Amino acid sequence: MPDRPSILVPVRVLDGESIPEGVPELLATAHVVLLGYHVVPDQTATGQAKMQFEDRANNRLDRFESGLEDAGATVERRLVFTHDGQKTIDRISDRGDILAVLVPNGTGPPADVLVAVRGTAGVGRIVDVVAGLFRSTDVAVTLYHVRETNETDDDITTFLDGVRARLTGLGMDPSAIDTRIDPEQKRLAAIATAAEEYDALVMGESDPSLTTFVFGMPANQIADRFLGPVLVVQREASQSESS
Amino acid sequence: MGDQRFGVETGGENVVGEAPAEEPEIFTEEATVHDDETELERTIGLAGGLAIGIGTMIGAGIFVFPGLAASIAGPAAALSFAIGGVVALLVALPTSELATAMPRSGGGYYFVSRGMGAGYGAIVGLGLWLGLVFASAFYLVGLGHYASAVLAEVGVVLGFDPVTGVALLLGVVLTALSIGGTENTAKLQNGVVGILLTVLTVFLTYGVLDALGVFGSQGTPGVFFSQGTFPVLTTAALVFTSYLGFAQVATVAGEIQEPGRNLPRAMIGSVLVVTVFYVVTIFVATSAFGAARLGQFGETAMVEVARNFLGLPGAVAILVAGLLATFSSANASILSASRAVYALSRDALLPRRASEVNLRFGTPHVALLAAGGPILVLVATGRVELLAEVASFLHLVMYGLICVALLVIRRRNPDWYTPSYRIPAYPFLPVLGAGASFGLVAFMQPASIVVGTGILVLSYLWYRYYASEVSLRGAI
Repeated sequence: MPDRPSILVPVRVLDGESIPEGVPELLATAHVVLLGYHVVPDQTATGQAKMQFEDRANNRLDRFESGLEDAGATVERRLVFTHDGQKTIDRISDRGDILAVLVPNGTGPPADVLVAVRGTAGVGRIVDVVAGLFRSTDVAVTLYHVRETNETDDDITTFLDGVRARLTGLGMDPSAIDTRIDPEQKRLAAIATAAEEYDALVMGESDPSLTTFVFGMPANQIADRFLGPVLVVQREASQSESS
Repeated sequence: MGDQRFGVETGGENVVGEAPAEEPEIFTEEATVHDDETELERTIGLAGGLAIGIGTMIGAGIFVFPGLAASIAGPAAALSFAIGGVVALLVALPTSELATAMPRSGGGYYFVSRGMGAGYGAIVGLGLWLGLVFASAFYLVGLGHYASAVLAEVGVVLGFDPVTGVALLLGVVLTALSIGGTENTAKLQNGVVGILLTVLTVFLTYGVLDALGVFGSQGTPGVFFSQGTFPVLTTAALVFTSYLGFAQVATVAGEIQEPGRNLPRAMIGSVLVVTVFYVVTIFVATSAFGAARLGQFGETAMVEVARNFLGLPGAVAILVAGLLATFSSANASILSASRAVYALSRDALLPRRASEVNLRFGTPHVALLAAGGPILVLVATGRVELLAEVASFLHLVMYGLICVALLVIRRRNPDWYTPSYRIPAYPFLPVLGAGASFGLVAFMQPASIVVGTGILVLSYLWYRYYASEVSLRGAI
C-alpha cells in the first residue's frame, strides 16, 4: 500500500477557483494530484486557449502547489485545456492510482471528519484514505451509517467494528474513532445534514456514480448544503491499468 | 494504439519576429501532451466527428443543388454526384492516414505544411481559410433562399428580392453568435444532424417508392443523358461543394478522441453517407418532375418535390429541414475557417494576434471576424454558382496536395510517421486522388478558375513577404 493516498484536487484554474482555506491542512499527508483545468467553448481550439492562458494558469498553479507543499503534501500537477471539464476529471481520476477526488470547498483547520460508510463493498479504499490522511494527525473521525431496511443492530455493530479494526490496524488511534448510526431515511440527505456538524466529509462514490458527482445532482445535494470539503472515494478501477 | 511520439521540428521567424508555437510531444487516445504537464483534452467522439462531416456537407447537396444540377446535366446529375463522391473518397482515404499520424488541428493545412514545407503550407492554409469563407457564403445564400421561400409560403409579399438581405442578416447573426455564444454548439450540431437524417430518410424512402410506381402515380423518367455526357463533368465540378465537409473533420483532428480509430471512420463514413443521400435525392427529384421543370424551381427545388409527394406538410418539413441544414453548414464552415486561421497563426504564417482569445467570452473573436467579415462581402455578390465553384476549387487544390504530401512523406519515411491507418493500393490510390482532384478543376467555369488561381497566387506572395524564413517541414 502506498504510504500517501493519492487525492485528485480539480481546480477551474482561470475562473477564480482556488485551493480553499483548510484544504492544505486536510491533505497534509496526501499525495495531491493537482489538476488545473480550463473549459473553453466549442468555438475555440484548446490549443488556442493554451497559447494565450498557459502562463497565467501556471502562475496560479505554482501558488497552489507551494501552499499544498508548505502544509506537507507531495504534489504532482497537470494543466488541461478542455471542452468538457467533467470528462477531464473522469479521465484523470480513472488513472488507477487515484483513491479519492476532492470537491474543494473551504473549511477551518480540520478537527472532526465525518466518514459515511455503507457496506463492505468499497470500504477498503475508504479505510485507506482515512487512515492515510489522518493517522498521524489530531483529527477525530466519526464513522457514519444510515440504517437500511432489514438491517439488525448486530449487523451494523459488526460492520462498524470491522471498519474500526481495519483503521486501527493501519495505525489510527482507537480513541480518535467514533461511530454514529441514524435511523432509516434518505441516505444522501441524511449525510448532508449530519455533515454540517463536521469540518469535512469522506464518502464512497458507491451509489451515485462519481461521473456525475463533482458537478451533478448528488454534489448539489451534499456539497451545496454542506459547505465544507468532500472527499469522494473512487471505486476500484474496473479496467486493467495501462502503462 | 499506444502513446504516439511526434517528431516535427519547426523553426524560423516571420517578418515581425514571431516564431511558430512549439509542437506537442505525445498524442494519447484522450489528450495531446505538451512537455509532460500541459494537456489538451480530446472531447469529440465518433458521433461528433460524423456530425461535423455530414452536417457540413448535407446542406448543400440536397437543399441547394438538385435544381441547378438537373438543369445542367439532366437526370445524369445523379452521376455527377456519384463522381463527386468517388473523388471525395479518393481523398478521404489519404487524409485519414495522414490524420492518424498527425492528429492536430488545421487538417489538410497541417499535413501539407509538415510534409511539403511552409510555402505549400501557406498556399493550402490560406486557401483553406478562404475556401471555407467562400463555402460559408454559398451556404448563407442558400439559407437566404430558404428563408425567402418561408416568407413566400406564409404570404409575406415584399417589393424586392429578399434573398441577399436575409443572407447578410443571418451571416451577421451567425458571426455574433459564435463570438458571444457560450451554449454547447457541438451538442446542438449533433441534434440537428440527427433530425435532418431522419426527415430525409422518411422523405426519400417515400420518394423512391413513388418513383418506382408503388403508389400508382406515374414517375417522369426522361432520358438519362438528356444534356449529353460533358455537362455531367462540369456539374460534378459545380456540386463538389457538397463534399467539402469531410476535411472539416480533419480541421478539428486535435480534439477527436481515439483519433486512430475515429478519424478515418468519421471522414470516410460521412462521405459514404452523404453520397448515398445525394444520389437518391437526385433520382427522386428528377423522377418527380423531370430535369427541365426541376431546374426552373432553382435553389429550393426540393420544396416543390416534397409538395408534389406529400402536399403542404411535406413542403413545410423540407423548408424547415433546408433552413436547419444550410444554417448548420454555414455555422460549421465559419468555425472551421476560424480553426484554419488559428492553425496559420500558430505557425507564424499569420499574425499571432489573429488567434487571440476574447477574455469575456473565451472565443477567438479575431479569427471569427476574419471568417465572418469576408463572408458578408461575398454574400453580397449573391452569385451561388461562382461561390460554390471557388470554394470547391480551393478545396480541390488542397485535396490534390494532401495526396501529394502523402506520397512525399511515405517516400521520406521519417521515424515519427507511424499512422495507425494505412491506405490500400499505395501509391496508385493517392496518385489517382491527386489526379482526380486537379482534373475536376479543369471542368469549372473560367471565372471560378481565374478567381481561385488569383487567391493561390496572392497566398504565395503573402508567404514570400511575411513568412519566407519560417520552416515547418517535419524532420527526416
